[in-house]
Amino acid sequence: MARRSKIHVGIEIGTSKTCLVVGEVKPDSAIKILGIGETKSAGVRKGEIFDYAQTRACLRDALAKAEDAADVEIGSVYLAVTGSHIQGVNHRGTYRLPDGEPVVGPEHVEEARTIAREVHIPADHVYIHPIIRNYWLDGLEHSTSPVGLFGKTVEADFHVVHGIGTRIQNSIKLVREMPLEVDDIVFSPIATAQMALNREHRENGALVIDIGGGTTDYALYLGGVITASGCIPVGGDHVTNDIHLVTNLPFSKAEQLKVTEGDASGDPAKSVGTARLHDDRGFAEVEVSRAVLNETIRQRLEETLRLVLRQLPEGSIDAVGAGVFLTGGTSLMRGFDELAYQVFGRDIYRPEPPEISGIQASFRDPRYATAIGLIRYALIVEAERVSPPGFFGRIARMFWPFGN
Amino acid sequence: MISHSRANRPIVDPASVKIIGLGGAGANLLEQVALDGMDAAGLLLLNADARVLGACVVPEKIQLGESLLKGLGAGGDPELGEKALLEAEPALRRSIEGHEVVFICVGLGGGTGSGAAPAFARIAREAGAFVVVIATMPFAFEGKRRRDQADDALAKLSAHASALITFDNNRMGETVLAKQGAHDAFAATDQLIGESIRAITRIVTRPGLIHLGLDDLISALGDTASPCLFGSGIADGKDRSSVALRKAIASPLLDQGLLKEAQTVLVHACGGEDLTLLEIELLMQGLQKFVPEDAHLLFGAAIDPSLGSALSLTIISSLPDGSFLPTARELPAARELPVEKTFSEPAAKPPAQPEEAPLFAATPSIEKKAPESEIFPAPSSPAADVAEPSGFELFEPAPTTAQQTEAPPAPEPEPAAPPKRAKKPSDAEPDPQKVKLSVKATGTQSELSLDSVPRGRFEGENPNVFEGEDLDLPPFLRKKK
Repeated sequence: MARRSKIHVGIEIGTSKTCLVVGEVKPDSAIKILGIGETKSAGVRKGEIFDYAQTRACLRDALAKAEDAADVEIGSVYLAVTGSHIQGVNHRGTYRLPDGEPVVGPEHVEEARTIAREVHIPADHVYIHPIIRNYWLDGLEHSTSPVGLFGKTVEADFHVVHGIGTRIQNSIKLVREMPLEVDDIVFSPIATAQMALNREHRENGALVIDIGGGTTDYALYLGGVITASGCIPVGGDHVTNDIHLVTNLPFSKAEQLKVTEGDASGDPAKSVGTARLHDDRGFAEVEVSRAVLNETIRQRLEETLRLVLRQLPEGSIDAVGAGVFLTGGTSLMRGFDELAYQVFGRDIYRPEPPEISGIQASFRDPRYATAIGLIRYALIVEAERVSPPGFFGRIARMFWPFGN
Repeated sequence: MISHSRANRPIVDPASVKIIGLGGAGANLLEQVALDGMDAAGLLLLNADARVLGACVVPEKIQLGESLLKGLGAGGDPELGEKALLEAEPALRRSIEGHEVVFICVGLGGGTGSGAAPAFARIAREAGAFVVVIATMPFAFEGKRRRDQADDALAKLSAHASALITFDNNRMGETVLAKQGAHDAFAATDQLIGESIRAITRIVTRPGLIHLGLDDLISALGDTASPCLFGSGIADGKDRSSVALRKAIASPLLDQGLLKEAQTVLVHACGGEDLTLLEIELLMQGLQKFVPEDAHLLFGAAIDPSLGSALSLTIISSLPDGSFLPTARELPAARELPVEKTFSEPAAKPPAQPEEAPLFAATPSIEKKAPESEIFPAPSSPAADVAEPSGFELFEPAPTTAQQTEAPPAPEPEPAAPPKRAKKPSDAEPDPQKVKLSVKATGTQSELSLDSVPRGRFEGENPNVFEGEDLDLPPFLRKKK
């Protein structure tokens, strides 16, 4: 089959920024980032859109910038969605083979998969992903489909992500209005994990936490498969808001203080004296005791991380061997790694984007982790899609003398 | 200028209201009502099972069938349930004597509930009370037999009760998120029914600017066998009327747009002293969108100073006919029967009757039913007044459980009010959190009482409650408390 470079585009409509990443997937599956279009978001709160007109304008702006930077015309995109309504649950479907059929056939596996996907979800929710974790054949784990093996009972273990249908539809509608085609929607932490974790990390067990402006998304991988995912509606906005509420400073100053002076480590040495902000025009400078500032930030972030920890299946953090990977804008907070270590007791990393070429500076920035992850997700989905060649593909191959 | 007392209306004394739980489901409901706090009404538990009686917090209890069943339940047999009740009849008569309104809460389908409720409703009617039966119908999965028993009992009840409110457990089950446990589902049901009992008592016992009486309530409840629709909401702030309406409409029993089918809708608005006519107008305009154009709107309004700047709204209605009850069509015939006569199944179904009219037109033909003003003379027994404060203390909820507070409408403190009424506000004031309102059993969590705290950029949003904590508030401030 003919192999060409393919362009994939990932969109993340975040609480603080809307960004489009245009990536080129080379025939050898290497990814090159062609361009990024980014605008400050408006009309998004806690990961969910509340003002469509504003968000539409932002998206349009980001799209124009991305097309400009990458010099391509964007037709279809992968969209990352998040919000506290989205949940991931594990569910296992069991199918007992009929008598007289000792060998597992594809239809049996399909039946088990269907059962597994039938998770009891609230009426207004829709499925976002059913992700196969692994198969079990008579109580023995199989990481690939057990078709052709002898067995009595086939089980398929799925991680099913679901969320409120109408909210997801509205996000899709927004993108369609650009007009852009939506190839697929992806739950943000799953996209982030594509970028942050390699196969080895997943095998050893890894937790990805993406702390953005309005939400904290997490995905836990154990034994190579996704085990838990979810979203907590707290992010960097909350930190700013906390500073505003505690110190009574205006938002702009609170944000500036958070970015330039805040420290989450809890190290008493960092909390000595006062933090100052100088006004551009030399007017009233802002002064806040570092102890108060840092404690406000720290308590918020510590609580958030502990909430994530509590959402994980019990004891699963002990099984995390590779460590905890922090991304998202808020992970740039000083001392955040120390805080995360205190909470999780695991190695803390900032993910290294693997084998991606292009604008180095941008994809090293944890703020783009999700959007770049989308490109990798697209690559994986695309690979799955083309791997079994269709009928015409097979015929074509018969006459194609050069192999594929 | 001559001041005119508005409070001088025939209303029911709260102390002459009695709420009676019958059977296992009734016990649960009553417990919920007791925990939520029911200002002055007396609570009475009737059960055959001695263990249930022992476990319940309600102070007044009567054991049914002491010698017949020997402290065990009726074992799902309605006949036994009825016999057990009749055995305790003298005690029951003593207990309900002098009460004007009797609420009977019962879960139909089982033995004690299905058997004893019709008999008890008859006894209560004979004692001269206005009997409101609040019945829950069994879940579909409980089987056909229980369903039949429940339908049977309901048909009998509709002959004896003055008003019958039915809640279908199947519908109630839908009000709770699928993933929540069965315990939550039952608790939510009990809470919702408890709230509706309170709302009804409130409406009939408090005088209002535009008064609603028991007659209005009866016509709002429609056909006695039809499932009840109930919703309430409370809101504060600038657009409180629209917010209260939205909350009321979002109540679990109303949120599927069922109000569109209602024929008669009772709306009761209650606000602080700053309640304006414009707000009432806005409220009713907003409500028009949710009810059919030709629906009969029964509107009541009251001023309750204890609500402060909040506005509370209660909507009560019923579906046009017993959509879930096959015997519903037989009921108009059943209703003509005098109270003393035991119910017998009509041999043939009478032709379908117009839904509303015959229903309560028929009620006066029941012998015991006297014109309303006679049943409810302006109560003035000093004994009942004395009893009131102690009732408060007993049932006042712990402040921690009060998530949303809604104070029931208190009488207006008009200077010219008769002495009996003038006394009431002082009675009502010591308990600002009299009533707990948590009918929002669906996904969204009820509001925490943290409204006074500024929330910065998240001001005015729904609280971001996660595992019981409002995440929009700084942990730095939250932990200090």
